[in-house]
Amino acid sequence: MKSAYPKQIKPYLLIAPALLLAVLFSYRPFILTLINSLHTVSLAGKRLSFIGLENYTRLFVNPSFLASLSNTLRFTLFFVPTNVVICLAAALLSNRPGRLATLNQIFFFLPMAVGLSSSMMIIKMMFNPSIGIINQLLGFDIQWFNNRHAAMTLLVIAGVGLDIGLDFLLLSAALRNVPSDLLEVAKIEGASGVQTFRYLQAPLIGSTLLFVVVTNIKDAMLISSPVMILTEGGPFRSTQTLVYQMYLEGFKSGNYAIGSAIATVVFLLTFTVLLLLLRLERRRVYYQ
Amino acid sequence: MRRLIPIAATLFSLAVVFPIFYTISASFFPYTDFTAIPARLLPSVPTLDNYARAFRESNLLVFLSNSLYSALAGTVLRMTISILGAYAFTFFTFRGKNLLFVLIVATMLLPPDALILENYTTIRSLRLTDTYLGIISTTLLAPTHLFMLRQYFKTVSQEYREAAIIEGCSDSRFLTTLLIPISKAVIITLAIHSFSTIFNDYLWPLLVTNREMMRTVQVGLTMLGFSENLDYGPQFAAITVLMTPILITFIALHNPIQDSVSTRFTGR
Repeated sequence: MKSAYPKQIKPYLLIAPALLLAVLFSYRPFILTLINSLHTVSLAGKRLSFIGLENYTRLFVNPSFLASLSNTLRFTLFFVPTNVVICLAAALLSNRPGRLATLNQIFFFLPMAVGLSSSMMIIKMMFNPSIGIINQLLGFDIQWFNNRHAAMTLLVIAGVGLDIGLDFLLLSAALRNVPSDLLEVAKIEGASGVQTFRYLQAPLIGSTLLFVVVTNIKDAMLISSPVMILTEGGPFRSTQTLVYQMYLEGFKSGNYAIGSAIATVVFLLTFTVLLLLLRLERRRVYYQ
Repeated sequence: MRRLIPIAATLFSLAVVFPIFYTISASFFPYTDFTAIPARLLPSVPTLDNYARAFRESNLLVFLSNSLYSALAGTVLRMTISILGAYAFTFFTFRGKNLLFVLIVATMLLPPDALILENYTTIRSLRLTDTYLGIISTTLLAPTHLFMLRQYFKTVSQEYREAAIIEGCSDSRFLTTLLIPISKAVIITLAIHSFSTIFNDYLWPLLVTNREMMRTVQVGLTMLGFSENLDYGPQFAAITVLMTPILITFIALHNPIQDSVSTRFTGR
């Protein structure tokens, strides 16, 4: 019996820091966000009175929020397919032997080495309409920051720049794991490149591809920092996203309760996507 | 058709890497090169002026050291917390073990960016704004790390530890002389990942730092004051300073990086 007690207390002590952090920085703020979204909240962040779902009913007639919601969904819709096609093309094109291919691969994942704010500043300067290299080089006269469509395009370009490195690595690793004897057979049988991809590679990298798609959707729905650095939601709120508006409401306008309601909407959206991801993950483990 | 693949791949990869190339090149541009017609890709007369100004006219070095310090401290704390937790969840049986494990890992479902309002209030009431602890606070728990370490520790036989404990080996000695050394590879991989995550964080450090001297480099880089005045040279120089060590590491380690991704995500 003498050793039973320390044996009981020790594991709890070992997990205490992790548990404390989980409660302090995840569960507690999560629950408080939900609660605040049902109240009026003072500028100092103090809950005043319970108002039920009023924040939400106000939110869904608020043009600024509706713009954020539609911008976030539109961004997701543009960004995910663009990014997946580009990363998959990069992985397929560089999936061959030889030194040149290795160089291609290094170039494709190198953007991963550039941090978020560095890449955003690079894009901001390169796409400057008057002295940026992009307009000068291509002979464009696009007002990247003052035109709705151009600004959204710019955000998609920024998103691809941020994600291409890792997504390329994931897809190219999956492609390299396709057994080479199968590819050899396909070649001997005279299969075209398209056929090889359609019937051989695509099914075998399917789970990685799904993983990339789902994480891209999740990241797209949460996008805020690139907006903050590049466009600040402009022009005319055309690139204002949900998390960016949440930040504005909470930190700039003092609308704490509205900010909390937006956060709750974001939770709902990402929960859906993440649960989907967990299901896919489980299926992937099953395959092995 | 197949002959065209290397050409297409090379052109495509050059387009992807172009911004990096241009940033490095433009960091050596004299001021007038930015407005030259036709546009320049290489400096007319390479100059180090931009570097001198980036360091002299901004607090780049302070920002950089803030970032290095918080990323280093954050990584050490984060790995310690993950290792201790994973150790308890692997080698001990205790009441509520599975529930507590799920509770910790399920924090993955709560995106940190959507929690910033409340977390900021917490940090402010703890008086931790403008402190290193405040900057790293929300990154200290890494549920994925804890999960992966437990998966790895599970491959170590339970009998190993039992034998060691019977022989009078303490838990801390078992951890430091046996478990951590044999898990070195996975611990290093996770530590590198932690370091780059904390180092590259933008939104949270922006919120919890108000004093310029406490800013991390990711935040400071966007507020150097050069690019607002279309004074791009020093801004490109600052970015080049920041990214060059990482670029070199990535190029030198391209093989292990590619391998680690293939084993981590496909389990082969």
